[in-house]
Amino acid sequence: MLPYFSKLGSKMKIRCFDQKMFCTSAFSPLQLPSRMETHLWYVLPNEVKSQSLLSQYVDLLSPHEKDHVFSMRGDELQKSALLARALVRTTISRYQIHSHVSPTSLVFRKNAHGKPEVIWEESDDWHPPPLHFNLSHTSSLIACGVTVGSPIGIDVEEKQRTMKNRILSFAKRYFSREEVEVLSAISDAEVQRHEFIKLWTLKEAYVKALGIGFSGAPFNTFTIRFRAANSRPEDSTIAIVPLEKPTNLTTNWQFAQVELAGTHYAAICRQNDGFPGGESMKVIVRKTIPLVEENRIDSVDDLS
Amino acid sequence: MATVPVTCVRLTTSMQMVGKTSSLKLVPMGRIKSGFPCLRTSRFQISCSAKPETVNKVCDIVKTQLALSSDTVVAPDSKFATLGADSLDTVEIVMTLEEEFGISVEEENSQNITTVQEAADLIEKLVEKKNATA
Repeated sequence: MLPYFSKLGSKMKIRCFDQKMFCTSAFSPLQLPSRMETHLWYVLPNEVKSQSLLSQYVDLLSPHEKDHVFSMRGDELQKSALLARALVRTTISRYQIHSHVSPTSLVFRKNAHGKPEVIWEESDDWHPPPLHFNLSHTSSLIACGVTVGSPIGIDVEEKQRTMKNRILSFAKRYFSREEVEVLSAISDAEVQRHEFIKLWTLKEAYVKALGIGFSGAPFNTFTIRFRAANSRPEDSTIAIVPLEKPTNLTTNWQFAQVELAGTHYAAICRQNDGFPGGESMKVIVRKTIPLVEENRIDSVDDLS
Repeated sequence: MATVPVTCVRLTTSMQMVGKTSSLKLVPMGRIKSGFPCLRTSRFQISCSAKPETVNKVCDIVKTQLALSSDTVVAPDSKFATLGADSLDTVEIVMTLEEEFGISVEEENSQNITTVQEAADLIEKLVEKKNATA
């Protein structure tokens, strides 16, 4: 498979994950991500058709989660909400951190700003690893990112997503001036739309990683700037540039952009403390059907 | 001048609304941005439920944004999220409402718009404020 790169306005490498490499048993022990890795799991609702499997997923949920799932309007939305909870519960349990951690035993809560997190059952002889996760979904793909030792934010969007508002009007309203300039400079409308969506996912991933809510980090208070470290596009990095002084926005974050299933753009944001300067994030992608199967998806990196 | 970050208002007197069906609502005053000291007196606002035509317009905009079928019932207490709105949809809805009604929604308020009714109430408050200062 030839490597696929986006050499568009961003000059940022997008890794394309659509090649199946090998299948692992759904239940063999899986190592937690190292501090240098991010794991990205995703499920495609279209691939989950069995009613009995969906019932098994319902059985994994807490009463509160069940209420939420069944409050969604219509079968498709309910299924999507159900898969999201099943994905996060089975994914975290997948690492088999402790015998008392199972998909049904996990307890979640939201932080003060609404960001979901796990409440671990600690004891004198067991302290949980600093595992972080973040979910994102569209109607056709649900993803969960997992890290150890760093908060994480992810966002996925369909590549074909169309906006109801005009893109530049929307960008002028919500993005920073510099970002509007970058988008305005793209003459092809379709290319512009793709770059807009990718930019949205990056900004959303950052705000979700911060965990302080949309109003805690309004999109027009920071710029996502693409910086070429040298002449190689694959070395370019993404920097966060806060626009207000003083600011509560931190900048020690790194990003990865991946394409999933050929249909979605995903952005991942995590802290970059302790990384040798400029190293790109190592992302391990797995496509899964919770409780049934998982396939590690490897990308082909451009080594040129 | 003292800067007072007021995030909630306590109702200290009781009001009786005669001959109207309206709800008494405590309205958060919002946070004061750092660097902009100002003196604020605490006061409470009474907001009545929004006019039906406002609510209907919001419903239409939501239905269009989320591409809902015409037989989908969008009620005032319908939550955008349960209708399938993600964060980008919600932001698009807010922008469309701003353009439709000629208002500007602060970021901290846009997070509080989760239902049709909340959107309609905020719209009417902002329209009233805009007309009052015009």
